[in-house]
Order: sequence, then C-alpha cells, then structure tokens
Amino acid sequence: MLKVLKKIIQYPRLTIGYPAKPLDTEFITGRPCIETAMCTMCGECLRRCPSGAIVADKQSMQMSIQLDKCIFCSLCVDVCPAKAVTMSKEFELAYLGNEVAQKSSKLFGRSLQIREVDAGSCNGCDYEVNGLNNPFNDIERFGIHFVASPRHADMLLVTGTATRNMEQALLKTYEATPEPKLVVAVGACACSGGIFQDSYATKNGIESIIPVNVYVPGCPPRPQAILYGILKALERVK
Amino acid sequence: MAQDLYEQLLDRYPAIAKAGELNNNEQYIEIDSAYIVEMCTFVHHPVERPLVSLFASDERGKSGGFALYYVFALISASSFLILKAVLPEGITVFPSITRDIHAAHLYEREIKDMFGLMPEGHPDAKRMVFHGNWPEGLYPLRKDYDAATKPNFAHNEQQFTRVDGTGVYEIPVGPVHAGIIEPGHFRFSVAGEPIINLEAQLYFVHKGIEKLSEGCSIEKGYYISERISGDETYTNSLAYCQAIERIAGLQVPRRAEYSRVFFAELERLICHFGDLAGICLDVAYGFGAYHFRMLRGWCYQLTEPVCQSRFLRSVNMPGGVRKDFIAGNEELICEYMLRIKKELCELVKIMKANSLFIDRVENTGVLDAKTAADFHAVGPAGRASGIRGDMRVDFPYAAYDRLNISIPEHNNGDVNCRMNVKLEECFQAIDLIRQVIEAMSAGPISVEIGELEPYRYALGYTEAPRGENLHWVMTGENNTIFRYKIRTPSFCNWPALCKAVNGNIVPDFPLINKSFNLSYAGNDL
Repeated sequence: MLKVLKKIIQYPRLTIGYPAKPLDTEFITGRPCIETAMCTMCGECLRRCPSGAIVADKQSMQMSIQLDKCIFCSLCVDVCPAKAVTMSKEFELAYLGNEVAQKSSKLFGRSLQIREVDAGSCNGCDYEVNGLNNPFNDIERFGIHFVASPRHADMLLVTGTATRNMEQALLKTYEATPEPKLVVAVGACACSGGIFQDSYATKNGIESIIPVNVYVPGCPPRPQAILYGILKALERVK
Repeated sequence: MAQDLYEQLLDRYPAIAKAGELNNNEQYIEIDSAYIVEMCTFVHHPVERPLVSLFASDERGKSGGFALYYVFALISASSFLILKAVLPEGITVFPSITRDIHAAHLYEREIKDMFGLMPEGHPDAKRMVFHGNWPEGLYPLRKDYDAATKPNFAHNEQQFTRVDGTGVYEIPVGPVHAGIIEPGHFRFSVAGEPIINLEAQLYFVHKGIEKLSEGCSIEKGYYISERISGDETYTNSLAYCQAIERIAGLQVPRRAEYSRVFFAELERLICHFGDLAGICLDVAYGFGAYHFRMLRGWCYQLTEPVCQSRFLRSVNMPGGVRKDFIAGNEELICEYMLRIKKELCELVKIMKANSLFIDRVENTGVLDAKTAADFHAVGPAGRASGIRGDMRVDFPYAAYDRLNISIPEHNNGDVNCRMNVKLEECFQAIDLIRQVIEAMSAGPISVEIGELEPYRYALGYTEAPRGENLHWVMTGENNTIFRYKIRTPSFCNWPALCKAVNGNIVPDFPLINKSFNLSYAGNDL
C-alpha cells in the first residue's frame, strides 16, 4: 500500500492542459497543404493518392485536398516533383455538418454522455477515443462521460465506414438514443469511407445512414483532435 | 528435414504430386485435388508442422479452375511447405480436411462464403463472413464479381449452436458493446453462472479488404495493409512489404532491417501495455490500469518525435523504410526505454504483491495445450499454453537472426500466464530495442523495388504483438495485386478464446477476452 501511495505522489498530475493550453505541435502530422503558386498541376499526387482525396479544379486550375477523404499518409508530399505539398501542424480539423436544432451548449450544459459505436473501423480510431480516458487527456474534466448504453447517451461518437453488417446495428443504436442527440463522425472512414470507399461491404461514410453534426477528419485523428470535435459540437470551442 | 519430407512426398505419391516452385523457404508442391485429405494429413502435425494458412484464389483465367493453397509451417526447418491443388474446370466442391485437421475449420468456411466452393464433409459449414443479409449465389472474391457491387439486403435467419437442457438459457451480447471496443456478437449458453458454450459471431467490421486490394497498385496495397488493424499497423505493413520484397527477390539494407525491428518492438510495447491496462481495469484494479496507460502514453510520446505518427503509419515502404527515422533520435529512445523499464519493474512488484488481483487472474480462462495445438493458437495465447512458436525465432526475418531473443515459457494457459507472457515480452522488447540501437550502423535505408513480374507470389510473415501473422501476395499485370490473402493472428485465436471461457462464469468473460485481446478488424478484414 505504501508503494502505491508513493507512486500516486510521484505522478500527481499527468493531464495535459489542452485546449486551455495550446498543444505542443512540433512533431504532429496535420492537414496537408498544397502551395498553389508552386503547383504545376502535373497530377502526380492525384493519380497516386491512395484514398482519392485530391481533386483538380479545371476552371481555377487548382489542386485541392478533400479533408474528409484524406488518410494523412504524406504520400503526396513525397511524390510531388515541385515540392508544393507539405504536411502542416494543424490538427483541429473538425467541421460542422447538420446544424443542431437548438443551441447545444444550452441543451447539454456542462454534462454530456457519449456512446461510442464502431461501425467498421480498423480500430485505430477506437484506440484514440480510448485515449480520451487515459490520464493524459482525462475527458471527464469537461463533464463528459462515456456510457454503456445508447439509452443513456446524448451523443453518438461513430468510427468506421458503416459496413454492411453494421448498418442495422448503427441505425438501431441511433434510434435508441433519446432526442435531442448529437452525432460525431470520427476518422476518414466515418466521414467518407476513407481508403475503404466503394467496396461491396461498405458505405462511403456514416452520413448515408444517420445525420452527422460534426466531422473529425484524420486517420486516425489524435485524441485532442477528437476532443476538439466533441467540444465543437457543444459549441464550447470556436 | 524439409527436403526429407518433400522427397518423401514426391516418392510416395509420384503420380499425383508434382514439384512446384521454390521461393526462398517456400516450397510449393502441386497436387491432385482428389488427394487433398490424404496429402494434408500426411504432412500435418499440430505442433511441428501446423497448418498456418489455407486460402483459395480464382485462377480460372489462367489455369481453368480455382486454386487452393494449403500452407504448412515446418518449424524445425524454418520453411513452408505449400500444397497447391487446382480444382478441375467447372468444379466448385473440394474435400474438407477439418475432420482431421481442426485448425482448417474457419478457413474452409471462409472459402465457402467468399468463393462459393463447398467444403465437402465439413461438420459445420454454415455462413460466417456474411450474415443473414447477403443473398445466396454471390461470391465477392471471384474475379467476375465487381468490387463495388452492393447487392440488396436478404433477410435470412442467422443460425447459432443451441444447447438444450433444464435451466439452460442464452445471453446474447453485442454487436454494440458497453465499452469502447469493436463490434462482435457473442452468444453465451449458460446454466446458472458457468458458461457451457460460447459462439462468437464476428465479421461485423468486414470491409472487403482482400477484394479492394485486388487490382490496386503495389503502392496503394501498402496503405491498405496499414489499415487492416489499427494497433497492428506496423506489423501488417511489414508483412506486406516483406512479401513484395520476396517477390522482387530483393534484400533490404541492414539499417532498414534494424529500423524495422525497432518499430515492430515499439508496437509490441504499445500493444501489450494496452492489454495489461485492460486486464487490470477488468478486475477493477484502477491503480494498475492507470499506470499501464501512463506507460502506453510514454510510448506514444516517443513515437511522435521519431516518426511523426502515433500509430507508426507511413513508416515502412516496400524496399525498406521511408526515412531514416532513428538517426539523431538514439539518445531519446534509450532514455525513454530506461525510464519505461524502471517504472515497469516497480509496477510489476506492486501488482504481483496484490493477492486480490492475482486471485482473479489465476486459473481463470484456462486454454489447455491440446486445444491450443488443435486450433493452432498463436502468440502470447499459445505461448501461455505451452506452445513455443514465435516467428522471430522459428522463421527469423528482418534483423532478428542477429539479435538475442528468448521466448517466455509458461504452461498453465490461464489469464495469469498470458499476462506474464506479455509482461516478459515487454521487458524483452525493451532489451531488443537497446540491442538494435547498439548494433545499428550508418548506411542506406531502402532499395528500389521496380516493376514486378506478373503472377509471382510469396509469403510475408511477422510475429505481431498478438502472434504469427501471415500475408500472401500474388502480383497481377502492370505492378498490381492479383490476390492478397491476409491471415492475422486473431483469426487463429478466436476459436481458442471461445473454448477457453467454457466453465468460467459470465462476469469473467471480459477479463478472459482482454487477456487474449483479439482484433476484430484483423479477423473480419
């Protein structure tokens, strides 16, 4: 027992202060950016992108990257002959989908219950969602809890492409969640199907099955990026 | 020994066995499909020459029929014997070997679902990959099935094994579970508290990875292999890269080999710390759980400065590693390893002195040696039950043949043994990383793969954190993939888990499940 107490004293607080304190982003792989001035429109990145995230706009003669499809593999950086693509440090990439009917900050106040549903991920996103519960991120400090049943939940946190075998289970889980409810799609698969688009066994993202309020791109998005997405749905961050 | 068996086979069956290709340590023998059972039982031994993979490939366009590959690992000879049987044109039935070789039962069901080939004589050939929603007569891995075709939903009843008797009832659990884990449906048959039978219905996260990768470029195949199972990203990508390198006949530079050992062992640490945290959490031992999560967090703090990816993604590439990630980070790595080792030592002492904790894990979820061998249980689950197999020692790849490594020896097969195997492997991984950093010398980190010849094939294998991991790639025309067979360790261990829970009480299931910690995504593909 003494040894346990000693350990507790040795590591009193591991929690990183994000989002109150900015995250150290030195080694982060964030949003890929194409420098339009340097881009020669050669199309090499577009041809080789494993998830088809890069599109060429013929009118404006610009290449752009669809964040919801991007798997953040850095291949476009490696193959660009003009060195026009870079991976930035920007990780707060969550964006809004369907608007919440009423102000969610008023609805849920400072307490939110989340049910996580894996609808066909590679389990990378699930491990990162799990990471929200570890001593470094400790999501409970925001009054946010993961609960065991959708009937107790205010928010569904969905990972994965929505596979054929999970479609019904996902829909049933959604229906079992009482109104008002929020849905956050976590990861490239849930946002767009990611690298698993257009297979006989997958949907291209969960939005074809249930309405989505916030999308969190990434493959997988880091725990702080997911946290940002959740707080964004609650209108607790800008 | 491999040569002996090979010659014996050819001598004994001169008319029906034909020498096939020899690719490094893979010896292919072409056999007549009528003699599959006889030949397989001749080669097979559950421990010394286990069946490690069995798959089909639609080669109707090339040889007229479906080809079946039976892969046996000849452990003492560090080589693979692969029996290849091509079914005659128009034939969609093949003899089942499940009655003689239990490890084949799921492979044959998979082949039935994906190719529409009927394993004749299989004791329980019901549907596996597709649940009741998939229409009859459609087989996605056949070449004439378009990958993007989504058939209408059928409504068939899913069959489960029923246990009859007074007081026996069923508990259905899942697919959406209470914790933050992957989906799967468990059907417990219970009388009172103890479990009589558990049937796991998996494949809820089946994404059609094998079909998706067909026709892809070799490059895209790499990114798909990274996303087979998130926590085994690196080991899966390594198995894929090694298969491609064997097809190309290339040797990767030494520095790349050492780098690969470093990343593979780091992934093992991350994986095992997660499992150990889970074991602690499932017996409500919060102190242990949070401490292991802290150790896991430290590993992630190391992965980002080294390779800018928490899940070790985009680190490998066919031909070597993408960048020289380790150069300049040696000190940081050694510092972290020392810190982790010290903390782990102290934590293990505290844990093992906690009799309440030990009481829960001891003699819980026993997987006996015979069952483990019959199902070919691999990795920590197998090693805890007295099966010594470890790909790093038996079939050394990357730089493992130049490093000192010892396999933990445990025989009880309970949660405690699996936990101890994982703990010892953590120490082993830290030691291996230290050895790698000492042994590494400067040099190139990758070689150019170039164009690959079509219709060449090879195995790629690694010891994943969960055990033996086997990938088989056949190239197509224009540097594409013709067939990619993935067999992760979870596929072998799921049936073993279902046996290990029998006789235990239902509340112990999460604990036993966690001690195996199998990947649903890696199994379902």
